[in-house]
Amino acid sequence: MDNLKDMKLSKEDFEFVQLDHDIKDEKFQGEAIGFFKDAMLRFKKNKASAIAAWFIVIIIFMAIFGPSMNKYTYREQHIEWALLPPRVKGLEKIGIFDGTKVMTVRKENLEGKYKDSVVKILEEKEEEYNGVKVPMVKAKINMYKLKGADDVYFWLGTDSIGRDMWTRLWRGSRVSLMIGILAVLINMIIGVVYGSISGYYGGWVDMIMQRIIEIIGGIPSLVLIILFVMYLGSGIVPFILAMIMTGWIGMSRMIRAQFYKYKGQEYVLASRTMGAKDRTLIFRHILPNAIGPIITQATLAVPGAIFTESFLSYLGLGIGAPEPSIGVLLAEGQKMLLDHPHLTLFPAIVISILMLSFNLFGNGLRDAFDPTLRGQE
Amino acid sequence: MKNKEKVLQVKDLYITFNTFSGKVHAVRGVNFDLHKGETLAIVGESGSGKSVTNKTIMGILAKNANIENGQILYNGKDLTKFTDKQFTKIRGSEISMIFQDPMSSLDPVMKIGKQITEAMLVKDNISKDDAKKKAIKLMGAVGIPEPEKRFNQYPFQFSGGMRQRIVIAIALACDPDILICDEPTTALDVTIQAQILDLIKEIQEERNISVIFITHDLGVVANVADRVAVMYAGKIVETGTVDEIFYEPKHPYTWSLLASMPDLDTDASDELLVIPGTPPNMIYPPKGDAFAPRNRYAMKIDFEKEPPMFKVSDTHYAATWLLHPDAPEVEMPEALKKRIQNQKERQVVDHE
Amino acid sequence: MSKQPVLEVKNLKQHFTSGYGKNKTVVKAVDDVSFKIYKGETFGLVGESGCGKTTTGRTIIRLYEPTGGEVYFNGKLISGKLTKEEKREVTRGIQMIFQDPIASLNPRMTVKEIIGEGLKINKLCDNEKHMMELIYNMLETVGLTKEHANRYPHEFSGGQRQRIGIARALITNPDLVIADEPISALDVSIQAQVLNLLNKLKEQLGLTVLFIAHDLSVVKYFSDHIGVMYNGRLLEIAESDELYNYPIHPYTKSLLSAIPLPDPNYERHRKRIYYDPSIHNYEKEKPELIEIRPRHFIYASKSEVNEYKKNL
Repeated sequence: MDNLKDMKLSKEDFEFVQLDHDIKDEKFQGEAIGFFKDAMLRFKKNKASAIAAWFIVIIIFMAIFGPSMNKYTYREQHIEWALLPPRVKGLEKIGIFDGTKVMTVRKENLEGKYKDSVVKILEEKEEEYNGVKVPMVKAKINMYKLKGADDVYFWLGTDSIGRDMWTRLWRGSRVSLMIGILAVLINMIIGVVYGSISGYYGGWVDMIMQRIIEIIGGIPSLVLIILFVMYLGSGIVPFILAMIMTGWIGMSRMIRAQFYKYKGQEYVLASRTMGAKDRTLIFRHILPNAIGPIITQATLAVPGAIFTESFLSYLGLGIGAPEPSIGVLLAEGQKMLLDHPHLTLFPAIVISILMLSFNLFGNGLRDAFDPTLRGQE
Repeated sequence: MKNKEKVLQVKDLYITFNTFSGKVHAVRGVNFDLHKGETLAIVGESGSGKSVTNKTIMGILAKNANIENGQILYNGKDLTKFTDKQFTKIRGSEISMIFQDPMSSLDPVMKIGKQITEAMLVKDNISKDDAKKKAIKLMGAVGIPEPEKRFNQYPFQFSGGMRQRIVIAIALACDPDILICDEPTTALDVTIQAQILDLIKEIQEERNISVIFITHDLGVVANVADRVAVMYAGKIVETGTVDEIFYEPKHPYTWSLLASMPDLDTDASDELLVIPGTPPNMIYPPKGDAFAPRNRYAMKIDFEKEPPMFKVSDTHYAATWLLHPDAPEVEMPEALKKRIQNQKERQVVDHE
Repeated sequence: MSKQPVLEVKNLKQHFTSGYGKNKTVVKAVDDVSFKIYKGETFGLVGESGCGKTTTGRTIIRLYEPTGGEVYFNGKLISGKLTKEEKREVTRGIQMIFQDPIASLNPRMTVKEIIGEGLKINKLCDNEKHMMELIYNMLETVGLTKEHANRYPHEFSGGQRQRIGIARALITNPDLVIADEPISALDVSIQAQVLNLLNKLKEQLGLTVLFIAHDLSVVKYFSDHIGVMYNGRLLEIAESDELYNYPIHPYTKSLLSAIPLPDPNYERHRKRIYYDPSIHNYEKEKPELIEIRPRHFIYASKSEVNEYKKNL
């Protein structure tokens, strides 16, 4: 605190400024921003979610355009070129993606079969076969040269019947994404309608609708899906049908809870006292406010749906051959995991990124939409 | 009250919070003393810094708080430098706090008997039985009927007023010297409030405890306080005995507070002194007097320099440039004058 | 004062039942409440938490259907089944100001949409321009400006939000305004602002108001008549000054004695009066609302009334 005597104060300092004025409220800074713009601003601030969003966009882009990037189709078979490791034109000089594989072969074959394709000899050892010691050599072998595919480039390699993995991977992603997003979208629509009616009207309507849900929900979903697939055959449509059978229940429960929460809010009561009809109250007042958690829940459900599909395809219950999906690719690759890891590696990476990204994206959305954060920044 | 021993001294306390949108200057240089056996009321609206000041005394500030400056002298030590461990020793047994909402102050799944004896068992070396006896006696003292039976009940079996009594019992369990009450009756009905206030006063007298009472209700202040400190935007703007503050206030904010809400004496035709505008944003602490934009009697200097504390009497200080010898003479507004006049007349009538 | 009251509440009952059979519990939130409000008057309904005052307000405005009793608005019965026309009369004629400034405004709507909703639903405007005019006028009346119309509620302070709520209630020119604890959730310095605004509007627009609050000082200041509620019943009805100067029911007395006054000297000598509901014995004599002094009613049995009269 300054010493009073030190401060140079003049008579003017003590003049009144606003004795008789009406003191008004402070002016507003900035533009009016609606709820969604506000949420988007907040979302962008969250680095992890923004990056995750980009990853999703990239994968969707690849899923659409990836398969047409090279000349192979997803079902073209080149038996003679089966199980080739990945080979990319630019990168092979650096030593990765160069179409080579480390194999242990008989030394005697080095001069014969593997003559042109040996890139480097790593180790020499002896192994016993039927009591006879056979000299073996661990060598890096250029598979493309070996199979007579010198000028051919399969960016992610080929599978057991010579189909291009790049095309199959992105086509598979396309299928998985489509199933996942479509299933969730349909679930969301059914769930929202069912839950809104149940939650808004309450009473008997709610009670009956909830009992119906409990009956349907009591059926184990996996059994249901298996039965569906077995009955309707494999393919995308039966698959989606199976997934929406019980998938909407979670969504409807959540919307119903939201409705219960919001229908007692004072602004809903205020509109009701003004004479607003039920329709207006549901669509104009409650739903727009309740939709935040729904969108988040839906986003988080997509990787779950993709995973379910992959898991079923892995079990052999998925969409039929030759249509790939990530699950199908994983299933095929698993059989030869140790010898040909590239078949499993790339689909696994894609689905991991998808899952992680959707999760982070969903979390980011949830934080962005959360009304309690609003106005505090 | 003269020359009473000081049990707590807060000097130049300055506290900021780190938030998403910037540093909030919650407390900007607060000074006050607490004397033994007295009740000091701290009055202010939300955002004035009253709760933050008292949380600092108890050492329960949020993690994003910074004590930028200042000292809190208690028993020869500076509480601003205390570690959590040191605080644990004095909390409950020397300084205790009760909060506003009795619902959330009690653990819903723990029997209240256990909650009262909890601190006792940790701090003092007494047996469980002795602790229980002490707790039951305490429950009786705070006015809980049939304490032996209710010792084993849960909070949901009590009403709001009863719960607040339990909270008070817990606060007194280890015989503290200082009791800090943070709006303890704001959430209660007015008839229950009256009972709780009477209880606090009774306990204070019996045990000679010093009480800091935080509230925004001036009626409550008139009821319980010996001395009052009025806070606004992180500073104390006026402090004095309760009579001085209510009958001879000097700060325009105090004037507005006293005359802005109707009390039972106010006539329907009386004017209410309204404080226009809203409290300031404490991320950008204003230059000069924080109350200036809302102050009808603001002068040029109020927007430039913060007013120091001007002495009105040995016990009465106010931080307003209106008390500077060069400032124009300003009397308190008519509406307030009238009120005080009515009150003085009533005094006379009562004495007759 | 016209002969017909704007609002007449007769023996209103609102019981909430829960559970079935043996476990059935009935909460009598409103238990036989009757009062009248004439044009231009302000009736204050005061009581502590749980006394049923908010439920009474909400039943009058038809948010709940009463379990018993009747509500008459401008002489017409509004508490039963109504035709579309009759409903429209009510939704235009009775408006409510709510307590919570945050929860009473839809966060997804702009201020002008919120205020204009009443006009839209009740079809009170011919065209867009007319509606905007009315909205701008109303904004200025409550102390806001035109530029506030396009903003969202979260950008406003508590006091401003409450003013938006008031604007919304008043724009349809209602015959009755029910204000349900309009200032309880606000900061102290803002409470005075909103209270002053309500007072000003009351005079300016000649409003008829049902003012519900728990703060007797505020209710006394604002209202012409006061009804004291306790446990779902109206215990005493009188003009404000009359109630303050001659409280008769023991509960009213205890309520008045509990309210602290900002007068330290007075508070030092205060003697509290405590109310014990068990002092009433209504087994033989049923209590009713009896006029004990001019326009001063009390809910008591005949013998109690005789007792009270002796002490006047």
